[in-house]
Amino acid sequence: MNFLRSSSLRSTSSILRRGLATTTEKPVLEKTFKIYRWNPDQPNEKPKLQEYKVDLNNCGPMVLDALIKIKNEQDATLTFRRSCREGICGSCAMNIGGRNTLACLCRIDTNTSKETKIYPLPHMFVVKDLVPDLTHFYKQYKSIQPYLQRDSVPEDGKENLQSIADRKKLDGLYECILCACCSTSCPSYWWNQQEYLGPAVLMQAYRWLVDSRDQAGKARGEMLENAMSVYRCHTILNCTKTCPKGLNPGKAIAEIKKQLAFQ
Amino acid sequence: MLSLTRVGLTSSRSQFAKSALLTGSRSFQTSNSQRFDIPFLKQIPQPPGYIVGNVNDAYVTPPSSRAHGSLHWNVERLISIGLVPLTIVPFVTGSFAPVLDATFSTLILAHSWIGFQACIIDYIPKRVYGAAHDYAIYLLSFGTLIAGYGIYALESKDVGLTGLLGKIFASKPEKK
Repeated sequence: MNFLRSSSLRSTSSILRRGLATTTEKPVLEKTFKIYRWNPDQPNEKPKLQEYKVDLNNCGPMVLDALIKIKNEQDATLTFRRSCREGICGSCAMNIGGRNTLACLCRIDTNTSKETKIYPLPHMFVVKDLVPDLTHFYKQYKSIQPYLQRDSVPEDGKENLQSIADRKKLDGLYECILCACCSTSCPSYWWNQQEYLGPAVLMQAYRWLVDSRDQAGKARGEMLENAMSVYRCHTILNCTKTCPKGLNPGKAIAEIKKQLAFQ
Repeated sequence: MLSLTRVGLTSSRSQFAKSALLTGSRSFQTSNSQRFDIPFLKQIPQPPGYIVGNVNDAYVTPPSSRAHGSLHWNVERLISIGLVPLTIVPFVTGSFAPVLDATFSTLILAHSWIGFQACIIDYIPKRVYGAAHDYAIYLLSFGTLIAGYGIYALESKDVGLTGLLGKIFASKPEKK
């Protein structure tokens, strides 16, 4: 009985192996990653770049795949945030090859003669390795009150209706996943992030300003009427250039300025 | 160390400063800062993680003031737009009209005043440099006043800005 089972197992596994092993052995394509490391448990040690080598023929196409491979196979202490691996959660925002982007949407540069450097989001406090502290960023998001505010209830008592044209105004705004790539690429946000709200939060502020169902527009506008919150934006447009979702926070800020100017 | 892992939860600047002194530990990386710092100006220490109050509190914006917000921005844009025709007109018409020239130079002065003011707010913020921010603004106002007097002198007793530029272009280097 035992013998039978083991022999049948062996035969199925050999069939599987034959059926699946359609690729030939590829040569090793070794890519060097240099990754920012800093450990809060050794606060006196300076942050450093640590080198890892990954065989690209044995790894998924995105930088996040390489990071997960490194964490699984080479160094379990490497710390980074990741979740959805398809660019919808915004957890794996980091600076890859000098550009803020999502590791899961960023293809590995297959040129193995060049190394890829990975840093946490620039000018943020680092919790560990590639994990930035986004507490203040979320506090700023909270300050714009990102939820529907109305004085009146809908007439039918059920829904706040919106025309198709009004709904269209929210396209390109609501898709933001708050990964903080744009805010942390903005020099103005680097210098004054304590007071300047930054492109990501301002784009959401605009999303609620243009929403036809929202009735708190006046208070929302008033909140932004100071030298720091909006007007530290000098239209550098790094935000629009870096957005991994292809959105345009620069335009949203310009629209806010226009709306405040003509009110 | 434990108490400091989420500094914002206990908040308050002095509290953090005291506990950091006592335990000699910190929760965020404090190695070489890449910030734009002015070396000889004293800085006000900032709360860890820039978190004021509880981590769950919303950030509180500065008090609203249209004069510092949209009105300021409108004036800034109007001056910039106004400068465009004023720059072109003397070139095209060859006009040295004193009123046009006086408006042009005053607008340039206002434009640079607002521009430098933006630089000061960006790089010498009151939040970080305190009184030094005010001194920088005073210095700018002082400079603007002097420049304003210079424009007055140039316009009332001399040839005006356009005339001055014309003179500089027209003059040939002396041959010896």
